[in-house]
Amino acid sequence: MIPFLFYMAAAIALVSTVLALTRSNAAHALIYLIISLLAVAVVFFLLGAPFAAALEIVIYAGAIMVLFVFVIMMLNLGEEGDQRERGWLEPGVWIVPAILAAALMIETVAVISMTEGMTSGEMVSAKAVGIKLFGPYVLAVEIASMLLLAGLVGAYHVGRRLSERRRGGIS
Amino acid sequence: MSVGATIVFSLVLLLAIVGGAAVLTWFERRLLGIWQDRYGPNRLGPFGILQVLADMLKLLTKHDWVPPFSDKVVFIFAPTAIVVAMMLGFAVVPFSPELYILDINIGLLFFLGMTSLAVYSVLLGGLASNNKYALLGGLRSAAQMVSYEVFMGLSLMGVVMLTGSFSLRDIVEAQRDGWYCIPQALGLYVFIIAGIAESHRLPFDLPEAEHELTAGFHTEYGGMKFTMFMLGEYCGLILLSCMITTLFFGGWLGPVLPPIVWFCLKTFFFICFFILLRAAIPRPRYDQLMSLGWKVMLPLTLINLVATGAIALWMQGA
Amino acid sequence: MSNPESAELLPFIVYFCAVVLLVATMLILSWLLGQRRQNKSTNMPFESGVLSVGSSQIRLSVEFYLIAIFFVIFDLETVFIFAWAIAFFELGWYGFFAILVFILVLTVALIYEWRSGALDWGVKTRTGIGES
Repeated sequence: MIPFLFYMAAAIALVSTVLALTRSNAAHALIYLIISLLAVAVVFFLLGAPFAAALEIVIYAGAIMVLFVFVIMMLNLGEEGDQRERGWLEPGVWIVPAILAAALMIETVAVISMTEGMTSGEMVSAKAVGIKLFGPYVLAVEIASMLLLAGLVGAYHVGRRLSERRRGGIS
Repeated sequence: MSVGATIVFSLVLLLAIVGGAAVLTWFERRLLGIWQDRYGPNRLGPFGILQVLADMLKLLTKHDWVPPFSDKVVFIFAPTAIVVAMMLGFAVVPFSPELYILDINIGLLFFLGMTSLAVYSVLLGGLASNNKYALLGGLRSAAQMVSYEVFMGLSLMGVVMLTGSFSLRDIVEAQRDGWYCIPQALGLYVFIIAGIAESHRLPFDLPEAEHELTAGFHTEYGGMKFTMFMLGEYCGLILLSCMITTLFFGGWLGPVLPPIVWFCLKTFFFICFFILLRAAIPRPRYDQLMSLGWKVMLPLTLINLVATGAIALWMQGA
Repeated sequence: MSNPESAELLPFIVYFCAVVLLVATMLILSWLLGQRRQNKSTNMPFESGVLSVGSSQIRLSVEFYLIAIFFVIFDLETVFIFAWAIAFFELGWYGFFAILVFILVLTVALIYEWRSGALDWGVKTRTGIGES
């Protein structure tokens, strides 16, 4: 049963990602992307990484995608945005990156098939993650906090400039 | 549990949640009536309880209208998201030592994940409606929900620290020596506030404030799709009460009576408490609500975390 | 404990299917039973009875974008705190001081936001914008 669930989740992830790429309406694309991320969370869970699965839902599906939807609502382009998006979906635009990505994928598959047993199949509990993260990798945690601080300050200043320009434009 | 028992329990639980949410709409109006010195629905059946049935029939026979100017697929998808997310949240709640749907070692994170997914229903509902009020209401609502979501998770970490597990059954078992509502009183306080804001119920129902946004993100919704938003909200209320019971008030633990009865009693108490809040407290202003979250609640949660950590380690060492 | 057992997941799968079925039933039932009516104003956007003017593509204030950014960043920070809380007793004082530094940086971020007025909604009196 577990392999069946795994392949089902993986298939959902693949199909919804392809659909997310090909939609011209940004809101529809985002919904497919959210479904894809949730399917990836299921895959993580079934592979024995429940903490990663939970973070996939809380962070990717629950936070970053919310930011994306926020931005779409703020820009709120409507039909005009769809038109522009359709222009970007012309084969001339995506054919070269697609070929390069396909080459990269063939290479990845080759590398994976050459190495034996990429996943240990062991359960990695949340506690194990915590002990490792605050044991050997504690420096990375502190650096991450600095990075997030920088991101926060940067985002605020970009936002404030936007706000000033917009207010200036109105008055 | 055998396969048959499993299926029966799943269906019974689902019916109990939906039925509970439906009865709650009537019960809430009756209680509000008592507290605010008016009647509430009292005509149909004993104490007016058949009002539930009448409301359901009315909502079922309403025009199932999808606005022609809306984004139709997203418009239908949005209300289903909140119902599914909230109902799935119940899967990790341990109703008694044996009665639960899913006991995973990340139970608490699963609950947080599901509540974070509920934001989409509001956001997408507002976006798809293609109506100015719905758009504004959706954005406001979502900004409120995400702001309070940050420390909703953090406020529960004190409980996790003391237990050393995300599994809700472990958390209940760890409360045999004393409920967490005493050492984690601050966490409980923040969790209740965050929970109300997250499920945008009164007093924090500003996104739906009639006096300025007609009905917020569900302005264009009617009939069953509107009902689904309401169902999601009431399920959220029940889920929140269940979580408070489980995390802070010892879940099914209690003397004499069977565990499931204790669980239901405690949950019922908190549901009444939330209705009392609705009856007693006026709405704050939107900017007050947002600054309350970021300027008071977030620092409080951080203080709670650090203090809990220091005291627990000190007591363990001593 | 190794990978999740299918016996443990079975109740959840059943429950999930039941939830989806319930939602689908609700939608289909209301579509079947619902009345269908067409007035001249049925298909208009609802704005409390006032005729709708202009499109719904309005510019929204940047504060919403800021809140969303702050949310993402603080949510990432909470994840680190989750990882610490679960292994709290195992990590002991060492982990406590590690997270203390982390929370201090977080607090610096919060104080910066607070002082620069990013958390104030609406009119920015400190910078003087919006007073005119």
